[in-house]
Amino acid sequence: MSVLRGVLGAVLLTLGLGLTTIGLYGVLRGRDVFSQLHAAGLATGPGVLIVLLASVATGRASIITHALLVFAFVLLTTPLSGHATARAAYRLRTRRGRVRDKAVIDEPDAPEG
Amino acid sequence: MPVIVATAGLVWATLLLAGGGLVLLRARDDLQRIVALDLLVAVVISLLALLSYLRGVSWYLDAALALALLSFVATLAAARYVGAQGLPGPSDQGEPDGPVFTGEDDR
Repeated sequence: MSVLRGVLGAVLLTLGLGLTTIGLYGVLRGRDVFSQLHAAGLATGPGVLIVLLASVATGRASIITHALLVFAFVLLTTPLSGHATARAAYRLRTRRGRVRDKAVIDEPDAPEG
Repeated sequence: MPVIVATAGLVWATLLLAGGGLVLLRARDDLQRIVALDLLVAVVISLLALLSYLRGVSWYLDAALALALLSFVATLAAARYVGAQGLPGPSDQGEPDGPVFTGEDDR
């Protein structure tokens, strides 16, 4: 049982830290904020969540409960902060006119009808 | 969890922290700095969780929770601040150039 837990912990840690590494590479290579947010939101967020899930391998109730608390909080807040950053980037870029110059109709802020 | 696994994870996460610092140094504008700081906080949360697994105590995870809370609030505030740059403020009477968002949907 102890060996099984150790293997499970090693697999989860490798998966989580590998995902975080991929996300870091994506953020490092991204040209603008949107591609950076793509990497940060889709790879780094789940990476942290999987590292927190690896607490199951410790077998201690207090660590698992605390880790699940952090898990729930990170699960809730990562999409929200990513959305806030993307929205700020979109507004800034639209105001500078780069979207309008290309005559792309791309205005979620415009009133409907 | 075996000590060797947790130690290797700690070393890996520390390298990731150095890479996050590189991302922060390479950022060109404020929004990219916000993204880099978000990434750094995620790495530090992983680091604190790994430290908690290694030592077998749970209070490092409390610190991780507090850090996640602070990072969330700070990211929201900084993104709103950056996103409102160039908008006409309450004391700004002139006609600004470029498309203007009225702020009706500023929730």
